[in-house]
Amino acid sequence: MKQKIRTFIFDELIFVAEPDSFSDDADLLEAGLDSMGIMRLIMFIEEQFGVTLPDAEIDPDNVKSFNALEQWILGHQK
Amino acid sequence: MSSTQKEPLLALNPADYLTLTMDEEIRQENMPGSLCGYALELEKTPDIHALNKRILEFGERFPLAYASLQQRSKRFFWFEREYKHQLFIQHHAPSNVNESAFHHTTITRLLNHKEPRATLAPISFHLIQSDHKTTLLLRWMHPFCDAKGTGLILQYLCTDSAEQRRTFDFPKQASLVNQQLGKYKWWQKIRFFFNAKRYITQLDKLQSIIHADTSLTPKALNFNTYTLTQAQTQTINKLSRQQVGMTGTSLYYIGCLMRALHKMNPEQTGDAYCTPYAFNLRKNKALSPLLGNHVGALFAQAPKAILHDRDALFQHLKQQHVQVIREKLDYAFLPVMWAASWLSLQRHGQELRKSYASGTERSSFWFSDIGQVDLSTTSLFGSKITQVFHLCQITSPPALAFLSCQFNDRLTLSYNFIEPLFTPQWIQQLHEQVLVELLTP
Repeated sequence: MKQKIRTFIFDELIFVAEPDSFSDDADLLEAGLDSMGIMRLIMFIEEQFGVTLPDAEIDPDNVKSFNALEQWILGHQK
Repeated sequence: MSSTQKEPLLALNPADYLTLTMDEEIRQENMPGSLCGYALELEKTPDIHALNKRILEFGERFPLAYASLQQRSKRFFWFEREYKHQLFIQHHAPSNVNESAFHHTTITRLLNHKEPRATLAPISFHLIQSDHKTTLLLRWMHPFCDAKGTGLILQYLCTDSAEQRRTFDFPKQASLVNQQLGKYKWWQKIRFFFNAKRYITQLDKLQSIIHADTSLTPKALNFNTYTLTQAQTQTINKLSRQQVGMTGTSLYYIGCLMRALHKMNPEQTGDAYCTPYAFNLRKNKALSPLLGNHVGALFAQAPKAILHDRDALFQHLKQQHVQVIREKLDYAFLPVMWAASWLSLQRHGQELRKSYASGTERSSFWFSDIGQVDLSTTSLFGSKITQVFHLCQITSPPALAFLSCQFNDRLTLSYNFIEPLFTPQWIQQLHEQVLVELLTP
């Protein structure tokens, strides 16, 4: 799951010089993930992993890193 | 060898035609065309020698900065020209002059400069100086680059390491519009095309509200800018997240402006406020492509009937935005942009900018939010950057553009308007209403 999200973010949303050395805890918002990108990311996650992520839970804590995103998704997967 | 025989430096990409169409429409109104500005207010005079040297290096690295935009058959291309224009120009205030007025007048004079497209400098850098005030203005013409590209040019100027400057570049492959389109099969592109056309037709069932006095002839662009305090900006950021969440910051500004305009005259003719806003096809933090336009168009529209209800308005704008992303309507506009780039500029405008229903302007106002300005530095050649704002010419109607950005944790709102269709006093009153809307929970 994390790998798919990594690929989507680095292919589509933000540019980092060395994606492989971007850690799972590194700050995605600092790296350039913006409001439009978050919207696209959520649509991608919902489509790929069959989850619905509630609007009310879209906050920096849930989208700040790959680990945070994984935890958020796992919390909504049946 | 004349430019007619030379090979072009570069052809325009599909997104460039959208901005070129705006340029053409503005020129048809006997106005200067789509000139834009990116202004940095500086604490003191920067190291002029070093700044000039870096600007000249930029010109050598990106020869398009000296190019001439010309039409060949139906298409437009950048050509090298025989004589290079001056890239860096200094403007000094006479003594005993009102400094703020001098800076304002110089900027408006530069943005109102009329010159044929083929001879107009694609970009020029203007250092405006008076005893206690310094402004660096980048003036560029659409379609030379978009606002994000200008931000990257500034970042290039501010990057001290020569090695890092080499990472700024042109597109390596096809334009980003074509790259995005390349990801889809041909039948998906056709489906996108018709989805977008249906979406636009739906939008155009409501006639857009336009406040400009269109009985008057456009004379000149003027602007009012306002930089809010850090406390005000924090409050606005917080309220924006409460109203539209993390995913729709720009929609907060759009909604507040719509409500403010409505308060200025609730009886203004029309059914809905409608504004196009661009989204950037570059990856965030990418240093390339520097030049050209790499944007797609989206629309926010709100019927007059819901403007009185703040919560309902923001809910509506957010739902509309979610629908656009969910149904990939943003990417759906790309095949329309691609197809329209083969039409005449007039037809292009009819397909992408004008209302399908009435053939008149769809936009109640033009809008651009570039978010946090990221120059990777807060100083420019030894001088602290104190404020940043944007400027752009506009068609009349709507004769009004609302441009926003945040720098040093402070929000700056730049209202660009065409006189006499709007007056500075009217814009001042509008801003007071906008401020109430932005700061009211």
